[in-house]
Amino acid sequence: MNSEKRTEILEIKNRFPDSYIKDEEFRGDISITVKKNKISEILKFLKDDENFHYNYLVDITCVDYLKLNEIERFAIVYNLYSHKNNSRIRIKTPVPENDTSISTVSFLWKAANWLEREVFDLFGINFIGHPDLRRIMTPDNYTGHPLRKDYPLKGRGEREKFKVVK
Amino acid sequence: MGIETLIKNNVLVTTVDAVVNWARKNSLWPMPMGTACCAIEFMGALASRYDMGRFGAERLSFSPRQADLMIVAGRVAIKMMPVIIRIWEEMPEPKWCIAMGACASSGGVFDTYTLVQGIDQFIPVDVYVPGCPPRPEGVLDALIKIQRLVEQDSIIKRK
Repeated sequence: MNSEKRTEILEIKNRFPDSYIKDEEFRGDISITVKKNKISEILKFLKDDENFHYNYLVDITCVDYLKLNEIERFAIVYNLYSHKNNSRIRIKTPVPENDTSISTVSFLWKAANWLEREVFDLFGINFIGHPDLRRIMTPDNYTGHPLRKDYPLKGRGEREKFKVVK
Repeated sequence: MGIETLIKNNVLVTTVDAVVNWARKNSLWPMPMGTACCAIEFMGALASRYDMGRFGAERLSFSPRQADLMIVAGRVAIKMMPVIIRIWEEMPEPKWCIAMGACASSGGVFDTYTLVQGIDQFIPVDVYVPGCPPRPEGVLDALIKIQRLVEQDSIIKRK
């Protein structure tokens, strides 16, 4: 495997030295872990840069590393794709349990709107600046964030207390 | 020596119930409430190999106001249940309901935070079809059982 780092990693290291945490490469796919404070600037740079041109937001998702000794409990994962270069990149950013807020990227990609609502609904991550941060999967009056690892599989009585209003 | 001698072979004497139920049971219009993989199997039951049209139930009604048999095929989330109840209430009487598959009948393998554990908690179910998903034969069997129920119905008093 090529031991040289991909230019995306070098550029992010150069431009955002305070945010860079680590990078990994697996079979040609790179993922870069950055701090959450400048996440929207980093994604904007990857999107708007002439050479990289990561114009397509594939997915925003979240990982709950409960009991797994990662950097922080949660990690938001941004999967980007460049139509111009036919290349993919994954940006991970750790989010601590006691401050689950992160800047929105819905002003960069329209698709981020619903993806961030999904992450908010299921993991309880608060996207600062999101235009319409409502639940999208579970019912509007639902409490709790069911994809968190400490959430019980059968729920906290939502299913049993659920009443249909006629 | 009765009226038959006067009208020869031109008239059959029967009851209104028998005629109405005969018509109803052979022209059930199902409302397909397909929410998951059971709906795919239900399509198989409708298609030419199994052909629910043989029992007069091939005309799916996507308007609940023209349907008399609701077939709930698939898992139902608690967010979906108010919608199904509303559709059920929009269907005119008389109406029947089939819970198709393990999920609609009991929640199935999805014993989770958001799934209704059997739609019979909210709407009356006449026939349950086991299976995950049921074979088309199971759907046809449920349909025949519904026809047996329709036969017992009365236009004067619903049983």
